[in-house]
Amino acid sequence: MNINELIFRNLKKNLKNYYLYVFALIFSAALYFAFVTLQYDPSMDQTKGSIKGAAAIRTASILLVAIVSIFLLYANSIFIKRRSKEIGLFQLIGMTKSKIFRILSMENFILYFGSLMVGIFLGFSVSKLIIMILFKITGVEAIATLQFSVQALIQTLVVFGVIYCFIMLMNYAFIKRQTILSLFRTISMTEGKVKKVSFLEMFIGITGLILIIIGYYLSSKLFEGDFTTMNELFLVMTIILASVIIGTYLLYKGSVRFILNIIRKQKNGYLNINEVLSLSSIMFRMKSNALLLTIITVVSALAIGLLSLSYISYYSAEKMAENYVPNDFSFANQKDAVQFKEALQANKMKFSEKIVDVIQVDVNIKQILETGLEGMNFDPNVMTLPVISDQDVKDIDLSATEVLFSGFSDLLQKFMSLKDSGPIELKGQHEIIPQNYIGLNKDTIVSTYFTNGGLPTAIVDKTVYKRLKHDINPDIQKESTIYIGIDMKDSATIEKANEIFQKMKFSDNRENDSRLETSNNQKQNMGLIMFIVGFLGLTFLITSGCILYFKQMDESEDEKPNYTILRKLGFTEGDLLKGIQAKQIFNFGIPLVIGLFHSYFAVQSGWFLFGSEVWTPMIIVMVLYTALYSIFGILSVFYYKKVIKDAL
Amino acid sequence: MHILEAVKIHKSYGTKFNKQEVLKGVDIRIQQGEFVSIMGASGSGKTTLLNVLSSIDKISNGTIKIEGKEISSMKEKQLAEFRKHHLGFIFQEYNLLDTLTVKENILLPLSITKTPKKEAEQKFTTLAKELGIYELKDKYPNEISGGQKQRTSAARAFIHEPSIIFADEPTGALDSKSASDLLNKLSELNQTRKATIIMVTHDPVAASYCSRVIFIKDGQIYTQLNKGEETRQTFFHDIMRTQGVLGGVQHEHQ
Repeated sequence: MNINELIFRNLKKNLKNYYLYVFALIFSAALYFAFVTLQYDPSMDQTKGSIKGAAAIRTASILLVAIVSIFLLYANSIFIKRRSKEIGLFQLIGMTKSKIFRILSMENFILYFGSLMVGIFLGFSVSKLIIMILFKITGVEAIATLQFSVQALIQTLVVFGVIYCFIMLMNYAFIKRQTILSLFRTISMTEGKVKKVSFLEMFIGITGLILIIIGYYLSSKLFEGDFTTMNELFLVMTIILASVIIGTYLLYKGSVRFILNIIRKQKNGYLNINEVLSLSSIMFRMKSNALLLTIITVVSALAIGLLSLSYISYYSAEKMAENYVPNDFSFANQKDAVQFKEALQANKMKFSEKIVDVIQVDVNIKQILETGLEGMNFDPNVMTLPVISDQDVKDIDLSATEVLFSGFSDLLQKFMSLKDSGPIELKGQHEIIPQNYIGLNKDTIVSTYFTNGGLPTAIVDKTVYKRLKHDINPDIQKESTIYIGIDMKDSATIEKANEIFQKMKFSDNRENDSRLETSNNQKQNMGLIMFIVGFLGLTFLITSGCILYFKQMDESEDEKPNYTILRKLGFTEGDLLKGIQAKQIFNFGIPLVIGLFHSYFAVQSGWFLFGSEVWTPMIIVMVLYTALYSIFGILSVFYYKKVIKDAL
Repeated sequence: MHILEAVKIHKSYGTKFNKQEVLKGVDIRIQQGEFVSIMGASGSGKTTLLNVLSSIDKISNGTIKIEGKEISSMKEKQLAEFRKHHLGFIFQEYNLLDTLTVKENILLPLSITKTPKKEAEQKFTTLAKELGIYELKDKYPNEISGGQKQRTSAARAFIHEPSIIFADEPTGALDSKSASDLLNKLSELNQTRKATIIMVTHDPVAASYCSRVIFIKDGQIYTQLNKGEETRQTFFHDIMRTQGVLGGVQHEHQ
C-alpha cells in the first residue's frame, strides 16, 4: 500500500467515524459564507444605507470569524486526540513524524476543503432564505435575487485557509508530542485532587466573585452618565468584559472546586453512584472544565444578551408605536381628521373614533420621584404633563383629590421611576391644586404630540379638570387641545387605511400619526442591527451547544472503561444514566445559569439604546434560549446512553 | 453444598456460518470456601469460562447455578442485581476508576447495596489494614504501584462479602514479589473469611496457592488436581508436570 492509498483509506474510515468534525466544518462554512454573501450583495445596499450598516456587518463578521475559529480548533483537538493511537502505530512501523504529519495534513486537506465546498454550497442556498427574512423584518421592499458572489467566495476561502493553517500548526505540535509509548499506555492524569480545603482556592473563588460583581456594578453605571467620552466608554466596556470573563474563570477554578472538595470530604470516601459519575468525574477534569465552562458561559451570555437586545428592539417597535400612537391613527388637527374620516367612509371602511380633550399643566412631582433627576433636563418641580378628565377614559372614576398617571414605558421607568403614591401639585396660572397621586397605568391615551415625547398623561377628576381648564397657562399649551383617535374596526383594513393616510399627506404634519407607519419606521431603523445581532446570537447558541456536546462525547469515550467496571460491579444501565444526568445538569446548567446572570446585567446596562421595553422580550428570549440549549444537554445524555449500553 | 454448579455449558461466537465454539460442554462444581484455579493455555477458553460463570457473558447452552439460583436464565437487570450482592471481581488490568481515590474505589460495592455509612467505614478499615493499603486511602490509582492497585482491587472484591470472588489473571501484571504478596493475602482472606475464590491464571506459582486446579484444553475440562495435604512446593511440581503434558505450546499462536 502506498502513501496515497493509505491517505485515501484513512479518509474513508474517518469520514464515518468523525462525522462530528465534518459537521462542524460544514456548519461553520455555511454560516460564514451565508453571512459574507449578504455583506457583498448589492441588494443589501438599501438596508446598509438605512443606518451605518456596513460597519455593523463588518464587526459582526469579525466576531463570527472568532467564534468559528474557536469552534473548529476545538473540534479538531478532539478529532486528533482520538487518532493518537493511529499516530503511534504509524511511528511503530517506522514512519517519521514529518511523514505522519504529511499524511494527516493531506487527509485533513481533502476532508477540510471538501466540507468547505459543501458548506459554501449550503451557505449559498441558505443565504437566499436569510435575505428574504431580512427584508421581511426590515420592511425594505426588494426582491431577494441573490447572485453568487465571487468576492464572498474568496473571502470565505481566505478565512478558512488561515484557520486551516492554524489547525495544521496544532496538529504538528500534537504529533511532535506523541510517543510510541502512548500507543500502549494510556496515561491518565488527574486534574484535581481531594485536598485539604485550601486557603488559596477559597481566595481564588472569592476573587472571581468580586471581579464579577465589579463587572456588574460597572455595567450598571455604564450609561448612567458617569462616562461621557467615547474613549471612556470603550475603556469601561473593556474593563467590564475582562473582569467578568476572568472572574468567571476564577469562580469556576476556585469556588467550584472548593465546594466540590468540601462535599467530597464530607462523604469520607463513601460515594454513591450519582456522585461517582458526576462529582468525581467533574473534579477529575476540573482544569479543562474550568476553561471550557468559562468559554461556554461567555458565549452563552453573549448569545442571550445579543438575542435579548435584538428581540427588545423588535418587540419595542410595536410597543413604542403603541406608546406614541395610542390608536391606529391619531390626529390633533380636526380638519385633517374630518378629511380622513371622509376618505375612509368613501372607501367603505368601518372605524371607531375617540375624542379626548387635553390640556397641558405644570406638575410638581418632586415628592413622588424615587430618585433625583440629576443630569437630566427636567425640573421635577415644573414638569409639563398632558392632563385629561376621567370622563374621557373608560372604566376609570377618580375622586376630586386623586390623580392617576397613564402611559409609561420601561424606558421612562428607568430614568424617572415613581413611587407608588404620594402628594403632587398641579399648577395652574394662578392657583396650585394639591392632589394625591395614586398610581400608574401602562396604557397610553393620547399621542406623542401631547405627551412631549413619551411622558405620562395625568388623569384627574372632571371637577378638577374644569378648574384647571379655567385657570390655564397659555404659554405651555399646544396648538390643539383635542386628541382624535381613530381605530379601524377590521384590523385587515389597517394597511389600506394607512395607504390613504400616507397619500393624503397627513404624516407631514407632526400633529397626526399612523401607528403602523411609526412601527414600520422603527423596525426599519432597527432592522439591520436586529438581524445581525440575532444572527450572531443564534450562531453562538449553536456553537456553544455543539462545543459542550463534543466535549461530552469526548469525555464519554474517555470514561467508557469506567462504565464497563461499574456495570461489572453490578450497576445497571439505569443507575449509570441517572448519574450521568446529574453530571449533565451540572455541566450544562452551571454555565447556563451564570450565563443568564451575565446577560441579564449586560442587557440591563444598555437595553434602552435598543428599545423601550425590556422585561417581556428579555424573559421570552431567556426561556427560549434555555429550551434550545437544553436540547444539546438531552442529546448528550442520549449519546452517553449509547456508550453505557456498549460498555459491557 | 455446591456454591456454584455449571452443567454442560457451551459458548460459541460468530455467525451461523462461521461459528467458533469456545466452550464445549464444561461441567464445574465448586464448594463453599474453595480456592479454585482454572488453568490452560492461551485460547483454551479459560477467560471465557470465567466471564460466563461470573454472568458478564451469556452462555449459548447449559445451566449455571450460583447458590441454587440459575443465573443463565436471568435478565440483564436481575443479573446486575445479582452481581451487586453475590459476586466480587479482580481483574488483571485492575479495573479501578481513575476518578476515585483508593478508599472511594473500595467502598463502591457497599454504596450499591446502601450499607450504612458507619458499618462501611468499619469494614473498610479492617479490610484495608489486612491488605496493607490503609495508608493509601486518599491516593488516586495513578499515584500507586501495580501491586497496591491490585490489592485495592482485591479489597473492593471482598468488602461486600460476596458469595464468590472471580479473579482474572490477578497476578498477570505484577512483579513476583507483589504477586506472592497478593496471593498470600488472597489465601489468607480465603481462610479467615471463608470466601470462595475462582481464579484464572496461566502461572503455575499462582495456581499452587489454590486448593484445587482445573485444567482446560480446547474448551473442555482436561483434568483436575487437588492439593489435599501436599505442601505448596510439591503441589507446584504436580501442576508443572500436568501443564507439561497439556502442552500449551502448540496453541500459543491462537
